[in-house]
Amino acid sequence: MTAQETGLDGEFRQQVVDTMTTVLTRLLDRPEPVTEDMRLMEELGLSSTLGLELLLQVEDQLMILIDVEVMDADQMKTVGDMATFVAGHSRPD
Amino acid sequence: MTALEAVSVYLPPARIPVESLAGPLGLTEMQVKLFRRFHGLREVSRDPDASLYDLLMKAATGLDALRGAEHRVRYVLYARAMPVVGPYPVNPLHEVCGALGLGHALAFTVTHQSCASGLLAIDIAGRLLAACAADGQDGQDGQDGQDGPLALVLSGEKAFTREAQLFADTTIFGEGASACLVSAFGARDRMLAYAANVRGEFDSATGANDARLQREYRPSLAEVMRQALDEAGVTLDDIRVVLPHNVNLVTWQRMCLLLKFPRDRVLLDNIPVSGHVFCVDMFANYKSACERGLLRPGDRYLAAAVGAGGGATFAAMVFEH
Repeated sequence: MTAQETGLDGEFRQQVVDTMTTVLTRLLDRPEPVTEDMRLMEELGLSSTLGLELLLQVEDQLMILIDVEVMDADQMKTVGDMATFVAGHSRPD
Repeated sequence: MTALEAVSVYLPPARIPVESLAGPLGLTEMQVKLFRRFHGLREVSRDPDASLYDLLMKAATGLDALRGAEHRVRYVLYARAMPVVGPYPVNPLHEVCGALGLGHALAFTVTHQSCASGLLAIDIAGRLLAACAADGQDGQDGQDGQDGPLALVLSGEKAFTREAQLFADTTIFGEGASACLVSAFGARDRMLAYAANVRGEFDSATGANDARLQREYRPSLAEVMRQALDEAGVTLDDIRVVLPHNVNLVTWQRMCLLLKFPRDRVLLDNIPVSGHVFCVDMFANYKSACERGLLRPGDRYLAAAVGAGGGATFAAMVFEH
């Protein structure tokens, strides 16, 4: 489903994707860049603790507050899934 | 049926902001932010001047129902997360028993289930008292709960080492204590069911299964909660309020999503101001629920706890108020 179909601001979602992939590459100390289609747990081995650190850094860099309390982490399979959630459930800080 | 006759809790009035603990605990700025922003831990209760004996006595002497009933107390169970809390021959439990006039009671410690040891202690206390009654040792009819034997369940700890102060990236421990009188046949706060799953493979000493514990933590807790509900013959919809262990906010926010249970029916208010107080959380949250009028007679409630460290224990207990 595209950002347009979900009613999301596509430009903002892309900003979230860019920030998340950059932060993840650094957090996970990966030699190869992280991409949007990568699976968070199976491929990147992201723990729930690192997942929270990722969200915190995204909040800091984009100056937003994410509605974590309604985030069903089990439904976030890929980097793109999480970016879509963040783009749709955040507000300016 | 095992019942809670009275509960007293002592949480030191002094609160330490999480930021002040960064230096002593070696926390990075990011870790402090995580604790505050997502884990919901703003400050923790600590009393540097109070000994473990002081903490336990402050809770126990707040138990009005104990006064004049000391002779009925057969057992004193001390539920705690840490296996060792003082150098030999110091024994705060025996000192407390002596000071309370409970030298005649059989006193022992319940541990090795970390912060889930409190629920285990309630269950053991009820079963020991029921066995007393079955053996005709209670000297009373034992069935009406008026004059029957009692057990005192104590919990409380000093956060006296780094390991006792911090569970990395998960929670920060506060200090406090609780005292709870348990009877075998009481009419109030009757225990309907208890379920516990002990998972020895999650031993933090090796760290080999830490990632798996993170993945399985919430599903395992949900499973044991369902076991307790099934055993009690009720559903989650019948539960008025969940009394959680105060590990952190985000864990319980995600538990609510997993269980499809309303977040406003989980008592989370104490997490930001007390921290995770070992085995005391359930009792502190029970007191808060009563004080805030969240429990009416006949309401069912569920206490849940996870003890993690030398293995992990997932535990849940269903009560009727």
